[in-house]
Amino acid sequence: MNDAIPPSSRPVFRELSLLVARCLLGGVMVVLGLSKALHPVDFLKILQQYGMTENHVVLNGIAAALPWFEIFCGLLLLGGIAVRGTALLSIAMLVPFSAIVLHRALALHESMAIPFCAIRFNCGCGAGEVIICHKLLENGFLILISGLLLTTTPRRWCLRPEMFQRE
Amino acid sequence: MARLPTMPRCAQHPSTSEKPLSLGDPAVRVDALAMPDPNAFTMSRSWKRILLESLAIAAIGLVLALLANGVSPRGLSLTRDYFPGKTKPTVVRRPEVTAPETAKGPATPASATITSSASEELSARLREKGLQGIGGTEVRQLFDDPQYAQELIVFVDARDDHHYQEGHVPGAYQFDRYYPAKHLPAVLPVCLSALKVVVYCTGGNCEDSEFAALALKEVGVPPERLFVYTGGITEWSARGWPLESGGRKSGLIQGFKP
Repeated sequence: MNDAIPPSSRPVFRELSLLVARCLLGGVMVVLGLSKALHPVDFLKILQQYGMTENHVVLNGIAAALPWFEIFCGLLLLGGIAVRGTALLSIAMLVPFSAIVLHRALALHESMAIPFCAIRFNCGCGAGEVIICHKLLENGFLILISGLLLTTTPRRWCLRPEMFQRE
Repeated sequence: MARLPTMPRCAQHPSTSEKPLSLGDPAVRVDALAMPDPNAFTMSRSWKRILLESLAIAAIGLVLALLANGVSPRGLSLTRDYFPGKTKPTVVRRPEVTAPETAKGPATPASATITSSASEELSARLREKGLQGIGGTEVRQLFDDPQYAQELIVFVDARDDHHYQEGHVPGAYQFDRYYPAKHLPAVLPVCLSALKVVVYCTGGNCEDSEFAALALKEVGVPPERLFVYTGGITEWSARGWPLESGGRKSGLIQGFKP
């Protein structure tokens, strides 16, 4: 198991790649989270258009909390705190979000007879109007990075890689 | 590697007591099969720890996120229904959707494509809610009416700060309905004393003007005085009519007034 390997014996390249992955995922989460947190109304409108729920308290709760939660997770990753747990949460956010976006894009593809990779709309990711093909690829890449961080514990350049560290 | 079971020393034969056990020994094989795989056990514990960690982060993060929303000046109210009477949106009504051909233009918002069907749809929806839609020509007449200068005709811009500052109908009041406490004190007295109130947003499928008009109706503005400009600011600016940038009565007028 990787966990049993002492930090000094880990190749630097591997640790570096984990650091890059952490910074990339964390950075993306902070930037996109901030853009939504600064314009929560825009985010709320987009969520409303997805028609995920009829309950306005749930809708408001998602629109109010999700951007800040994303920033929080991004900061944890950047600081190297509870990396694997945060990576799992990142997957838990990215996979349903991608599924919803894909579902919406497929519906548009069918109803408007637009080529799939020509469909673009503001999906609520915080980057404004985007080409959905690109967005899904980007999300796939971020899910892969999250998977990498989930299955490997970084040892170096982390404040506290595991929240519940073994003594 | 499976940890080899240790036998009690008293049970070992003197001749074999020094001989290390190997996995090839039948006794060891039986014992090893009976034991749970230690690696699987460690992995299971490891995943449990990760799951616990993520649950803890989720709980802490959620509390912090709600606190941040609470202290943010742009924070949302959790209990308010921002879309009263809103039906589940259909796919074809999405205003942002464009093919790349239309999006290649210089930062043209997709919602700029105002179709007559969208306008008709909006008018029908407004009628259902007891509001009236109004077209560009009538709006321009109201703008040119001397009563506009006397504030007997009032224009209300239902968009957010950024868009309002970028350009609004000269003299229009801003009423971003998502932050009523900020705007109502200035807008409400004017609207209550006006004969006609024209509310607009971006146009097309933008619904902010509709909801802003409903909000004004709720706080006492008679519905027969409320008009929703279906074309919105997109049509207004597309016709080359004047726009005021910055705050209300800033004097920064763009465009011309034929």
